[in-house]
Amino acid sequence: MRTFLAIAVLGGGVAHATVGSALRVANVAPDIPLIVVVLLALRRGPEFGCGAGFVAGLLQDAATGGLLGVQALTKAVVGFTIGAIGIHLRVSQPLVQVPGLVLLSILEGLARFWLLQLFHFPAPFGELMTYVVLPQALYNGFLGAALVLALAWAERLKEPTAS
Amino acid sequence: MRGGATGASDALAIITTPVQTVLARINRATLGVWGTYRDWKNVRAENRRLREEAQRLRVEALRVTETDAENQRLRRLLVLKESLPLETLAGEIIAREWGGWVRSLTVNRGRGDSVARLSAVIAPDGLVGRVVDVRATSSIVQVLTDPASTVGAHIVRTRTPGIVEGEPRGTLRFKYMARDGGGMQVGDLVVTSGLGGLFPGGIPIGRVRSIDDRGAALFSYAQLTPAVDFARIDEVLLLKGGVGRDVTASFKDAS
Repeated sequence: MRTFLAIAVLGGGVAHATVGSALRVANVAPDIPLIVVVLLALRRGPEFGCGAGFVAGLLQDAATGGLLGVQALTKAVVGFTIGAIGIHLRVSQPLVQVPGLVLLSILEGLARFWLLQLFHFPAPFGELMTYVVLPQALYNGFLGAALVLALAWAERLKEPTAS
Repeated sequence: MRGGATGASDALAIITTPVQTVLARINRATLGVWGTYRDWKNVRAENRRLREEAQRLRVEALRVTETDAENQRLRRLLVLKESLPLETLAGEIIAREWGGWVRSLTVNRGRGDSVARLSAVIAPDGLVGRVVDVRATSSIVQVLTDPASTVGAHIVRTRTPGIVEGEPRGTLRFKYMARDGGGMQVGDLVVTSGLGGLFPGGIPIGRVRSIDDRGAALFSYAQLTPAVDFARIDEVLLLKGGVGRDVTASFKDAS
């Protein structure tokens, strides 16, 4: 369990640091650790999602030179929340996945902005939402749905065929 | 007796000659096919060898091009390092954060190399940013386009003072007092002012791309095109002290 958590979270962090910039479209890069946290929380529940979110966020904060703990907190909350409500949602449907991830990304952005405001973050809210949060949320939604479909396909391949 | 033998020999020849002819043709045809097969096999082997050779040469050419480009970059950096009247330290960029909330670069120089917090970081084309976090073996550099970045600057031609700010969309803007911005034009160069004690004066920041004149408002804004392509730089110079000096002469675009 711990090994899986470490591999998943570190893998997400490494993917974000390496593939993230290559996946940039019109200056918008996806938040791969957030997508990994959401997927983990949906499969393993709120506690696991919270832990994964905390570790992934902390790693991102440390790697980027941002305010340490902000993303750790917001991603932990996202992981816990989606883990708790995920059981009531039909998350295997792309029509739920894409808007769900978009909404979660926006909520995470809002929480992050609010936290950073406490430390006098100077960026204007409107510009930040228009140029950073919303485009990234949309990107997260589609990339997350693609990842879910890829995972489902990989699992189907792994299953022994009934003869 | 002899005539009978000749007759028998002739009779035998009548039978064997066509057979020999056919056998000879078969032999020639077989040898021909075999020779063609061997040639084809040789050609195939040679083709494969030549393909491998071409592949190897292509990789080699790429490596040479890459090395050449790196050589040119390092040469430019060295020229700048030698022309600057300041102590500098060269560093390589090992990571980039381009998310929008934070725009930063990680340089492979840290506490072990006596890097100080808030040191200015420059490239041959101009200012990159400042060191905001120093670690044991690396440092985090806040890039000019970071939303929290501000630098004191002025327009070279008109000496209009102002502040260069980063924006969430990854662009730069020059904020200035409207009454000072009279003769500003698109294409004007903006350099560090040297005020504030963080950056030496005269380091290019960017050129005016558009002017947003806000009429009676106290401040007006100009959008800038950065002098440095932050997404493409691989090596930088970290300044160690001497921030009070003017380094305009070291940047050919700034003069």
